[in-house]
Amino acid sequence: MSILSRVFEIQTVLDKNPIMEENYTLAKWLNNELEGEELKAFEASDDFAVYQKIKHYSAELKTPDFDDDKMLQNILKAKKSNKISIQKVFLRIAAVLIIGFGITLAVKNFANFTEFSANGATTEFLLPDNSTVLLNSGSSVEYKKWNWNNERKLKLDGEAFFKVAKGKKFEVATDLGKVSVLGTQFNVKNRNKRLDVSCYEGKVQVNYQNQQIILTKGMMVSFENGTQINAGQTDQLAPEWLQKEVNFSKENLQAILDEISRQYNIEIEYKGKLTNQTFSGTIPMNDLDVALEIIATTYHLNVSKLSDSNIVLQ
Amino acid sequence: MKSKSLSGICEELIFSNFFKSHVKALRNFMYYKFGNAEQAEDVTQEAFIKLWENCEKVPLDKAKSYLYTIANNTTLNQIAHQKVVLEYAKAAPKQDKTFESPDYHLEENEFKVKLQKAIDKLTEGQRTCFLMHRIDGKKYSEIADALGISVKAVEKRMHLALLELRKEIEYFK
Repeated sequence: MSILSRVFEIQTVLDKNPIMEENYTLAKWLNNELEGEELKAFEASDDFAVYQKIKHYSAELKTPDFDDDKMLQNILKAKKSNKISIQKVFLRIAAVLIIGFGITLAVKNFANFTEFSANGATTEFLLPDNSTVLLNSGSSVEYKKWNWNNERKLKLDGEAFFKVAKGKKFEVATDLGKVSVLGTQFNVKNRNKRLDVSCYEGKVQVNYQNQQIILTKGMMVSFENGTQINAGQTDQLAPEWLQKEVNFSKENLQAILDEISRQYNIEIEYKGKLTNQTFSGTIPMNDLDVALEIIATTYHLNVSKLSDSNIVLQ
Repeated sequence: MKSKSLSGICEELIFSNFFKSHVKALRNFMYYKFGNAEQAEDVTQEAFIKLWENCEKVPLDKAKSYLYTIANNTTLNQIAHQKVVLEYAKAAPKQDKTFESPDYHLEENEFKVKLQKAIDKLTEGQRTCFLMHRIDGKKYSEIADALGISVKAVEKRMHLALLELRKEIEYFK
C-alpha cells in the first residue's frame, strides 16, 4: 500500500468521525480515560474487537533483554577511573606548556650568562643595555640578564674592555677588587695577583682591598700583591690589545710571557735565571717573532722554537 | 534540605535505585529512536555516566529530566535506522478462555505476527509513543516530557497509531 493511499484512508476515517480528530478517542480509550456514552458507543462499533486485541497483545510486547547490572557496574566504575574529562586533559597539557614556557623564560633571564674567549681569540658582545664588552684572550665574564638595567653587575676573570652605556652604576667584580662606573670606557685586567685598570672616558672608581681610587680619562692604576705599583697615564683612546698590541708598564717577565702565550695560544718554557727586572713597553700581538725578539733582546735570552706552538727561552 | 537532596544522587545506593527504576525505560526509548540495541545501550550508559559524574550539581527531583535531556541530545554517527525488533512475553495470559477453540492458538499467533508487522510500518514518532505506552507503561505526560512535545500531540500520535494498526491488520485479513 502506498503512503498516499494510506493517508487518504486515514483522512476518510477522520471525516467519518469528526469528533475523533479533536478528542483522539482512541488515545483516551487506550489510556482508560474513555467513559459513559462515548465508551459504550465505541464498544458497540465494528472495529472495537480489533482495537481490543491490539490493546491486549501490544501490552505483551517486550524489547530484547539486556544486562542492566553490568551497565550499572560500568557506570559506577567509570566515575572512579575515568573522571579525567577531555577538558581536564586539555588543561593539563596547557599547564605543562605554560610551566615549560615559564622555566625557559626563567632560565633565560635568571640564569647566569657566561661569555668567554679562548686563548688566541677575542670576543665582543653586547649586554642587555647595549654596553659593549670586548673580552681579551683567555677571559670570561659572567652576568645575569634579569633586571640588568637596575643592577649592572658582572664578574670578570681575565681582561676586558668596556664601553658602558649611560645609566645606573655599572660594576665589574674581580677576585681582587671591584670597579664601578657610570658611563664610560675602561679596561680591567685581572691576571694572577695583578689588577690593572685604565680609564679611557668618563670616571671610574676602583676599590682594591681598603683603597678607593677614582680614575678620570687617561689614568691607569695597577695593583700587585696588595700594593699599588703605579698610577701612570695613557694617551690612547682604547686599550692597545684592541689594536693587537699589549702595553706593559713595570711588568715582570713571567706575566709578560703568560700574556704572550695567551695571545698567541702557544706554550713558552722559560729556562733562564729568575729576574726581578721589569719591562715597560709595547709588544705586538700579531707578530710572534717580533714579540719574542723584543723579550729576548731586553732580557738577553736565546729563543728556540721546538715547534710552532712550543717555544723555549733560555 | 536542599544540600541533602543535591548530594542524594551521589550516594551509591540512591543512584543504583534510581538507575534500576529508569534504565529500562530510557534504554527502550533510545531503542525505539535509533532502532539499534547496541547504540541504545551506549547512549543510555553515557547518559547515566554523565549524571553520576555530575551528581553534585543535579538534584534528585531533576535527575530524570536531566537524564532524558542528555540522552535526547546525544547525536551519534547514526547507523541507518534499523527495524525495531520486538518479542512477545512468553507467559501470555489468554485473552478470553470461554471462546477457546482448536483454531484459537493459530488465529491468535497469526494476529500477533500481524501486529508486529503493523507496528513496524508506523511512523517513527507514532511507534515511539505507542511502544513507550504499551511496553514501558509510561503516562502520556511522561511521554510528552521525554519527547519534548505536548500531551495533546502525544494523544494525536497514539490515536493515529491505533487507526493505522487497525487498518494494517484488517488489510492483511
